[in-house]
Amino acid sequence: MTKTVLTVDDSRTMRDMLLLALQDAGYRVVQAVDGVHGLEVLHQERPDIVITDINMPRMDGFGFIEGMRSNPDYSCVPVLVLTTESDAAKKQRARDAGATGWIVKPFDPVRLVDAVRRVAA
Amino acid sequence: MSDDPFEAIKVTFFQECEELLGDLETNLLALESGDTDIETINACFRAVHSVKGGAGAFGLEDLVRFAHVFETLMDELRSGRKPVDDITVRTLLRASDVLNDHVSAARGAGPAVDAERSQALIAELETLTHGAPVSAAPGAGTASAGEDDFGFTPLTLALDDLGGGELPPLDLPPLAFIAPYAPANQEQTGWKIVFRPHPRLYANANETGLLIRELGRLGPVTVEMDDSGVPLLDALEPNDSHLVWTMTLDAAVPEIDVRDVFDFVETDCDLNITPIMSGAAEVLPDLGLPDIGLPELGVSDLADPLELPAADASAGEVDIAALVALAQADTAARLNGEAPPLEVVSPAPQPQAAPVAARTPPAAAASQGAATQAPVTIRVDLERVDRLINAVGELVIQQAMLAQRVYESGLARSSDISLGLEDLELLTREIQDSVMAIRAQPVKSVFQRMPRLVREVADMTGKRVKLITAGEDTEVDKTVVERLAEPITHMLRNAIDHGLETPQEREAAGKPAEGTVKLAALHRSGRIVIEISDDGKGINRQRVRAIAEERGLITPEQVLTDDEVDNLIFLPGFSTAKEITDVSGRGVGMDVVRRSIQSLGGRISISSNPGKGSTFSMSLPLTLAVLDGMVVGAADQTLVAPLAAIVESLTPKPEDIHLVGGVDPVLMFRDEFVPLIDVARSMGFRDVPTELRGGVVMIVETEAGQRAGLLVDAIHGQRQVVIKSLETNYRHVEGVAAATILGDGRVALILDIDALVTTGRRRNSTRSDLKMAS
Amino acid sequence: MTQVTPNVAGTDRELIAFRIGEQEFCVDIMSVREIRGWTPATPLPRSPAYMKGVINLRGTVLPIIDLGARFGLQTGEPTERHVIMVAHVGSRLVGLLVDAVSDIVQLTDASIQPTPDVASESVKAFVKGIFAVEGGRMISLIDLEHVLPAEAEAEAA
Repeated sequence: MTKTVLTVDDSRTMRDMLLLALQDAGYRVVQAVDGVHGLEVLHQERPDIVITDINMPRMDGFGFIEGMRSNPDYSCVPVLVLTTESDAAKKQRARDAGATGWIVKPFDPVRLVDAVRRVAA
Repeated sequence: MSDDPFEAIKVTFFQECEELLGDLETNLLALESGDTDIETINACFRAVHSVKGGAGAFGLEDLVRFAHVFETLMDELRSGRKPVDDITVRTLLRASDVLNDHVSAARGAGPAVDAERSQALIAELETLTHGAPVSAAPGAGTASAGEDDFGFTPLTLALDDLGGGELPPLDLPPLAFIAPYAPANQEQTGWKIVFRPHPRLYANANETGLLIRELGRLGPVTVEMDDSGVPLLDALEPNDSHLVWTMTLDAAVPEIDVRDVFDFVETDCDLNITPIMSGAAEVLPDLGLPDIGLPELGVSDLADPLELPAADASAGEVDIAALVALAQADTAARLNGEAPPLEVVSPAPQPQAAPVAARTPPAAAASQGAATQAPVTIRVDLERVDRLINAVGELVIQQAMLAQRVYESGLARSSDISLGLEDLELLTREIQDSVMAIRAQPVKSVFQRMPRLVREVADMTGKRVKLITAGEDTEVDKTVVERLAEPITHMLRNAIDHGLETPQEREAAGKPAEGTVKLAALHRSGRIVIEISDDGKGINRQRVRAIAEERGLITPEQVLTDDEVDNLIFLPGFSTAKEITDVSGRGVGMDVVRRSIQSLGGRISISSNPGKGSTFSMSLPLTLAVLDGMVVGAADQTLVAPLAAIVESLTPKPEDIHLVGGVDPVLMFRDEFVPLIDVARSMGFRDVPTELRGGVVMIVETEAGQRAGLLVDAIHGQRQVVIKSLETNYRHVEGVAAATILGDGRVALILDIDALVTTGRRRNSTRSDLKMAS
Repeated sequence: MTQVTPNVAGTDRELIAFRIGEQEFCVDIMSVREIRGWTPATPLPRSPAYMKGVINLRGTVLPIIDLGARFGLQTGEPTERHVIMVAHVGSRLVGLLVDAVSDIVQLTDASIQPTPDVASESVKAFVKGIFAVEGGRMISLIDLEHVLPAEAEAEAA
């Protein structure tokens, strides 16, 4: 069955790149533009995997993951965080926030899809 | 549009950059004006961050480097570690200009970035961030700047760079015990991984089964599970983690590949990875676990009923699906605190069903989401919109033609056909309005470019300027928005260069050293009005008059009102600057500005208050696609006069018409003689003068406020017409602004009132109170 | 030089031949978009005499050039029997007023001969070359690039 990935990013460029890479890999992609929107789409679409940016207006990625994790419905949906940094502190912060894993920007499609596959049941 | 999706995304990226840079500037200006709201700072950070993120994806290294330094300073401000002070904001504003340059250069739309200027700003930004410039070499040496500062190395992983995906260096915990256990002369055959997940591993939706599946991609895996750590039922905490997994990977892959599998969870578990050597005794890592015999998977007391086929470890492979199921059962049960702890591992198929009951009813959740839906927008290629507008233009013409045919056929106005046509006309007009609204755009995109211009002109002239904008959301047709930039640019330059005094002069005059220039847009009677006002010295009328006389533009005897004197600056070749300055002396005088505005069907005027400042005011039609016109007849020709220029229409009385010098007629209109222009003759449609008797006169006013009477044979009525350029397939024709297509299907010319009046006046050499530009 | 007859094998150009008075001219068929009957044009002020004005071609404002007058030939008032060839000239679309369209001719570039010196200067300015077809007809190949008035020329008129 086709898996649905929710991408949450305020940058259209980034959303487009995620869409392109994930669609090519056979995923169904739904998009949201910030954390608040992300939670809405989450309820509507019940995605299998979520990819979120951190820096966003209205509600940032940390707030979004927190919102997700506090709802038992979504506490076991894997979340990948988009980050421009690859240092241990940033990764730890993502983990502390409840992220399942991360994707370091800029990403190439292979690495992106690999990360998605790794956390997708 | 490119078919290459990557190129298409790049186009999107640059479009987005434009918006981001506009937002950045707006927010920086808000900071400058004292709004230090955290959301404003965050918005600046995000804009730069997004530019950097996209630039990284396209390998735009210079842009990434600059954006990174910019972003780092923004991060300092955002965290409150650094105060938002004047000097910082000004530096950020200048940095946003350079960031703009970087984007333009990357896009190929601008010249290469001034490397020196860019480097200088990087140094400035870094000084503000760290107290000193740090990056002698790009991207290097930020290590000293504390934990939140990371040596950022621009990565250029393009989409086509598939193989080269070298991971950034991993921050591996020191694992000193690995190497010493591997005797040098033995061959490595695989890896042994001992793994004990922490509760958070599950809380973050990681699963042991998936990790095993991942490991299985590297080679044959055997798995053993130790449940001896699971406490008795009454002591069991559902969210705790008690199992220890031992995985044996029978493949001599590089260690980093194995570590990669556990990358996401490395701090959420106890993990020990050791090499397995051929023929060597297995080296058991010391995890501090109770030393017990590790049972085979599925053989443990609790897991016994599972009967996992994966338990066939002798096959050297693992049934991943079964493991995933097991791990999911484990995870699901943990996360569902209400479930009896026993379900953790007992009947395999059921635990998955347990959490479902806990879900919020989907319908309720969905309606919750729908309530706060943001407005939906789509992006459409402008060409498609234009095609639509053209088609609607044709529809309007066809509708008018049809209406005229029906009228000519003599059908009664109350006939079904006539009534149907009226409905069609209403509908057509509504479609036209809706289509025009699609292209309506706020003037913001133009206004946003101006702060930079003001800064640069202020720098060049040594003046201090504050720009205030108002009415950015005022909408006009896209055709007009695009052409506003040039006249606004010239008028702003002029206001700063000629209008404002130097800080010293201002202080001497008792004014604040910093001058204020205001740029405002508003709608007024179906037109857009752009006002540019300054609080400078105003127009020096004596000087303007003297120059105009010196250049022969007026005679010393002429009596002019203050307004008339002020408007002399729009005459061709007029410049009050003592020398050609770098700023407004680029060969562009106010006459050129005026002409470019007129070519858009606009007008410009100035009002000035000596010592207090000047206000330029220009008004333009809201669209260049349609025009409200008066349809008139002259010598068998049908012509259209722009309604905006018409003051009044009248049937002249013979006694009001006089011949000046025996040839040129003038008309007495409201106690004023206005030249009377014979349109048919002026346009070359007729050789003999138009018969005054039976003729009709339209009193018109030019952009400069000059009045004249246009003599035509008949006035047919008002109509909105679709503007068709003559230049598209032919060229500009003197006296003709454009063409249109009327209801009878024939082309009618739209009169260029200013050109007609000017030519008429030129001929009227006896009356030359003001020579106007052609 | 070989005499070229229409429909010869190995041709690489198709041309539309048309008549103005007694003379025959032609243009590349690729540049002609359509051919239509004469309709009265809206005259343009301050334009050369050969500019007959503009007509409405399905929403496009199309300038009409009296090609004969443009070549300096004697032409009368257009009638319903005249035709307008709608042709691309550079990026512009113009209507060329001629007496009648006479033929479609195929030929190779090699068969085109230079314009003889006997032709008047005004014609030479627009003729790229001439060639002969069956029946001894001489046809002049027109270069459309220069049929629109130059800016200065139109201004002066």
